[in-house]
Amino acid sequence: MALLEIKNLSLYIPTGTEQVKALDKVSLTLAAGEIKALVGESGSGKSLIIRSIIGALPETWSVKADRITYDGQDLLNMSRNQRRQIMRRDIAVVFQEPTSALDPSVKISAQIQESIPDEFIDKGFIWQRWKQRQQISISLMHKVGIKDHERYLDCYPHELPTDISQKLMIAMALASEPKILITDDSTRGMESTTKTQILRLLSKLNKTKNLAVLFVSHDLLAVTNMAETMTVLYCGQTVESGKVKSLMKKPLHPYTKALLDSAPSFQVSLPPKSELIALKGTIPTLQHLPIGCRLGPRCPNAKKECVVTPIPRKIHEHQYSCHFPLHFPNVKGPDKEVHL
Amino acid sequence: MTPILQAENIEYTFKFRPSFFAAKSIFELGPLSFSLNTGETIAIIGNNGSGKSLIAKTLVGAIQPQKGQISLLGSNENHANKKTRTKTIRMIFQHNQSIMNPALSVGSMLHLPLNLNTSLGYSARRAKIEQTLLQVGLLPEHYHFYRDMMSDGQQQRVAIARALILDPKIVVADEPFAALDPSVRSQTVNLILKLQKELGLAFIFISHNMGIVRHISDKVIVMDKGKLVEHGNTQEVFKDPQHPVTKKLVDAHFNLVSKHFEST
Repeated sequence: MALLEIKNLSLYIPTGTEQVKALDKVSLTLAAGEIKALVGESGSGKSLIIRSIIGALPETWSVKADRITYDGQDLLNMSRNQRRQIMRRDIAVVFQEPTSALDPSVKISAQIQESIPDEFIDKGFIWQRWKQRQQISISLMHKVGIKDHERYLDCYPHELPTDISQKLMIAMALASEPKILITDDSTRGMESTTKTQILRLLSKLNKTKNLAVLFVSHDLLAVTNMAETMTVLYCGQTVESGKVKSLMKKPLHPYTKALLDSAPSFQVSLPPKSELIALKGTIPTLQHLPIGCRLGPRCPNAKKECVVTPIPRKIHEHQYSCHFPLHFPNVKGPDKEVHL
Repeated sequence: MTPILQAENIEYTFKFRPSFFAAKSIFELGPLSFSLNTGETIAIIGNNGSGKSLIAKTLVGAIQPQKGQISLLGSNENHANKKTRTKTIRMIFQHNQSIMNPALSVGSMLHLPLNLNTSLGYSARRAKIEQTLLQVGLLPEHYHFYRDMMSDGQQQRVAIARALILDPKIVVADEPFAALDPSVRSQTVNLILKLQKELGLAFIFISHNMGIVRHISDKVIVMDKGKLVEHGNTQEVFKDPQHPVTKKLVDAHFNLVSKHFEST
């Protein structure tokens, strides 16, 4: 059974006169012990999905969804307190840009100790409990691969290099022994050695602790190394989702193909200094979203029909939303939902 | 052929004392020497804190090296002279958003270097700006735009336009692609390759992304703890890395790539 299930999530952001549909019917499931990647460029709504899961949205924004459930419990119709309990213990989030997510005015040691739930500390005198917290925080740091804890415990966040603060964020997220770990762009701006370390750490946690990981990134190299399934987002719409292998081998949506082609590492036969394949234009801003399929204006095979939002279609476990998928570029698909 | 830029044994020592009683920590850069020819691209790779950005800063003259010589266009005086140096070497920064003034329009931002470094009149400057904007793939209308009206990719293009506006021979770029999305990133790579072909620019760039380093650079410099540990042709270094640091970086990259191909 799915641990986390999101069905048809739409998010509306008011912008003065009208409401902007920032997320358009996004569906996502995460099974226990699965590593799922959420791929999309900036502005595609990856972070908005995370914020709707944890409920950290401004009150003026409205969420509409068929369901968002965690382990069978409905997260949307839950009291604030209950929801906070789940977020505290079962779902942990590692936010983007660790140096700014950490509190700049508090030392690292205090921040890690704060993230350890009280239940983990056996009763004792105050100095014994203090000692215990210290031990747990040091073992957490060792677990994520920071060996010289002495050097970093007494630091403020601005004194740390990015990769160490990234690992610290993961350590703090793991302190409450969660069932789901959501990492938001945790390999951004890292060199290949550190990146490999972080990826290995996450896969190890997934195997040993049966931790489900929602790996949010636009780094395809990292995604293919880690994840079993992936969902590709573009401008708040789910473009394609399925097993990483089948998506990489045979992308059906033009956007997925463009994303794969844009990385020079994936093309062995590419001569150096030759031109890369790139979609023209840039991602539209939220104020100027195109109607219908939002890739429309940038899509190489866009036709007249693309002003209507395509219905998601499914081949085995591979789901895509496109009128003219790459395996049938000229035949318009049916208007109703069919399972081939 | 004399190289356009030549660094000989540059050294820079950076001393830092966290508090009065704490031990001094010292960061030493160099001694390192390398040379750059017209139309060539050199990539600088290395782990975090290995002094890559410091090299970039020394080359553009933001930091004076304590020892050693940098010669530009064949003579040392050219690098010491601020006027010629700023016209010949320009820099592109990583976070182009944070170094652009939100209160200035693109036009006035581009007027500034021209105003300070050339004797062009207003209309000549304006014509030059419009020409440069077209060159980097923007429209002359972007002259009136402000920073926040543009997307990431467009901002990056403005940053490139600002570097190109004085017709430099060398462009130094510190992580120009790190903050960009994949599709915009390949557009920028294409733009840089096109400009290099058209104008014969020499590029020095710092990057984490080994795939792009391998794709666009002719030579690689590998740094570790302020020292130059390996230096050579990109293809050779990637095929046969010698130093352990290089081996680690290259292997980590190829492992990721090969796993990708296994999975498909």
